[in-house]
Amino acid sequence: MALIYRDTRMSDVIAHEPSVIPVINRFGINLGTGDSSVAEICSAHGLDSDFVLVILNTFVNEGYFPEDKLLGFRTSEIIGYLIKTYTYYRNYQMPNIRRHFSLLIKSSGESNASLDAMFRFYQELERDIENRINHDLNELFPAITAMQADGGGIVIANTESDSIIEDKLGDLKSMFIKHLSGNYDLNLCYAVIVAIITLEKDIRQNNRIRDRILLPISRSLQQQN
Amino acid sequence: MTVILLTDDTLQGIGLRYLLRQYFDIDATIATSADESADTPSTLYFVSPQRFAASLDFFIPRRSRTIITGENLRLDGSESVIVERLDSIVKNIEQRCPDNESAELSQREIEVLSLVARGLINKEIADKLNISFNTVLSHRKNITAKLGIKSVSGLSVYAIMNGYISESDLQR
Repeated sequence: MALIYRDTRMSDVIAHEPSVIPVINRFGINLGTGDSSVAEICSAHGLDSDFVLVILNTFVNEGYFPEDKLLGFRTSEIIGYLIKTYTYYRNYQMPNIRRHFSLLIKSSGESNASLDAMFRFYQELERDIENRINHDLNELFPAITAMQADGGGIVIANTESDSIIEDKLGDLKSMFIKHLSGNYDLNLCYAVIVAIITLEKDIRQNNRIRDRILLPISRSLQQQN
Repeated sequence: MTVILLTDDTLQGIGLRYLLRQYFDIDATIATSADESADTPSTLYFVSPQRFAASLDFFIPRRSRTIITGENLRLDGSESVIVERLDSIVKNIEQRCPDNESAELSQREIEVLSLVARGLINKEIADKLNISFNTVLSHRKNITAKLGIKSVSGLSVYAIMNGYISESDLQR
């Protein structure tokens, strides 16, 4: 869709691109936005509207990634957003996939061996995501914050996102789309696939911010010290 | 298929790129000059008459996959006319350079897959099947392309789903 501006109605954004719902949710914005503009909603929630706009625009237009603008925000703001994102994965998106997946297996009479194997694969993938989240929350983010506060010379190891999580999400999608066999509940299956694709897109966006904004900042901080 | 656009007119290039993406899922590249190193037997060129004339040495040997805008492709038709013309151009190239891989795994690929799924590394697979390391790599590349599955544990799941290995094979 077209770029989103301060005075764009939030409801128009959501109607065009419902995949932003999890994104506004993690900023604390709920549905029922009426005719309010993005800027109005941000100020009502005490959010930096410039920052929210950049996040929404990068999410809606995958080709749009204004590195300069993003590098202009405070590191704490970017880290804050990534923490919100991780919390959202942990508390909502991953449990949601797990819940629907379990229901899908149950409703298929627990006799679909493909689905069982795929569910175990999903659980392994969840552990990979948890590991990355824990690493960032407990090591990467505190290290960057400390470097900014006192120039502490903590050395950050190579923390580029490896692609294992993205690969596995793609693999899981292929398993559903290309290789699924046996009996299963069509509706629940659709719900699981949509939830997986939503998480995949979210993680892709998140990695761009982590790898192309936050990590360059942390590297330049390291050089300064 | 790769498509390279060499137009004089930026908007024309953007327009062609948009149509190719929208209707054919092709990501065309707008280039400023013909590049020998980026050329493959399935690269298609859309080029303006001026650019064509300026690089005859490059385009004459590649004439069968070079479209001269305004000559081989009319620019003033309606959108649907242009799209139909693009369709026949794209089909024509695809027919000459089919990526005619079957989606089915070959017997050898199934053997490699089963060993990957059991947790063997490439070197071990090469030794076991008595083939070179590079052959293993190329089998693995083809397997991933055919199945759409990259990770080792994903391949294991696929192998179990299809009965190439059993659960107990995983515990080694």
